[in-house]
Amino acid sequence: MGTTEAALRDLMVAGLAGDAGAHAALLRALVPLLRGFYRRRVRGGDDDIEDLVQETLIAVHTRRATWDPDRPFTAWLFAIARYKMVDQFRRHARLSPIEDADAIAAADDFEAETIARLDVDTLLEHVSPKQARMIRATRLDGLSVAEAAAAEGIGQSDVKISVHRGLKALVARVHGGTR
Amino acid sequence: MKTDDLIRQLAADALPVRRGAIGRRLLAGLLAGGLLSAAAVVIGLGIRPDLDRAMLGPVFWMKWSYTLSLAVAALAVTVQLARPDTVRPRGLWFLAIPVALLALAGAAELVRTPSTEWLAMWLGHSWRTCPWRVLALSAPIFAGLLWSFRRFAPTRLRAAGAAAGLSAGAFAATVYCLHCPEVSAIFVLTWYSLGILLAAGIGSLLGPRLLRW
Repeated sequence: MGTTEAALRDLMVAGLAGDAGAHAALLRALVPLLRGFYRRRVRGGDDDIEDLVQETLIAVHTRRATWDPDRPFTAWLFAIARYKMVDQFRRHARLSPIEDADAIAAADDFEAETIARLDVDTLLEHVSPKQARMIRATRLDGLSVAEAAAAEGIGQSDVKISVHRGLKALVARVHGGTR
Repeated sequence: MKTDDLIRQLAADALPVRRGAIGRRLLAGLLAGGLLSAAAVVIGLGIRPDLDRAMLGPVFWMKWSYTLSLAVAALAVTVQLARPDTVRPRGLWFLAIPVALLALAGAAELVRTPSTEWLAMWLGHSWRTCPWRVLALSAPIFAGLLWSFRRFAPTRLRAAGAAAGLSAGAFAATVYCLHCPEVSAIFVLTWYSLGILLAAGIGSLLGPRLLRW
């Protein structure tokens, strides 16, 4: 199960329709996202982070009617996560934000990055799985063509062709503006 | 508690949520509070004796359309502020339409009336009590809206409190029309609006305390 905006949205929509399995899958998928979100922003032990994650999961559950299906799911999720974080800072002096402005800016980058990654994930769904894997390996994870070829067990020219064709398809897709 | 266990518990009560659920919940809170306010008018202040005749004339409907359209515009803003990801609510300018229309009606009224009667028309018989009564009648409605907000996720608490207060005030003024016999547009524009604004102001003060979740 992925954590793309599209996948999370589908789970949310199914959960709102009363599908308990989808709802549970959604909450489970949010756990790593939220842990990453809070770890980069909150100075506190693992227990504090986990408390925040649980608080947020409860809020996502009890207040799920406030999500507008016409708006992005992740923006709604992070708005709740941010509110819970600020609220925790007010309640517990023990928890403090990672203090300086640079760190908070970096945390904001994380959020933007996460959303960007979700966008990339969404895009990569539109090319073949092999092409997606090769683009990810060589362009996102920073492997060399030789390393990617070894990892996949295929020839280097095969990797190059996959990346080339996949990127071409993506460029066409982005320029076509279809979503 | 382990996070996995928590998720299992939460998912166990994944009741379906219909689209537009927050609008309905907001309306339910508003109407429940409005019923209490209406009961207070009927029992405490008394319905104006000529209500049936007044409902045939234009003045009553001018007052009602002012207060009701304000209430609707304020509710439209409140619904948006019930969501966590609303940074800037849209449609704030809708609030200006009823005010502008009533101001036009007031200007027309002033033109028709000799200036010696302006003061009497502006103050009416009840300018001292009107804003306070509107404010008092807004309290049960505000309480109803607070109940609605218990399932909402506002992140701009002061703005949400102000919007809820404004909705409560405008709806309270609508209920108060059942009692109030005043007939002048500038009276309504001043004293009704003052009561409504007081409700919005108190809402903005209470929001950060009462709307936390």
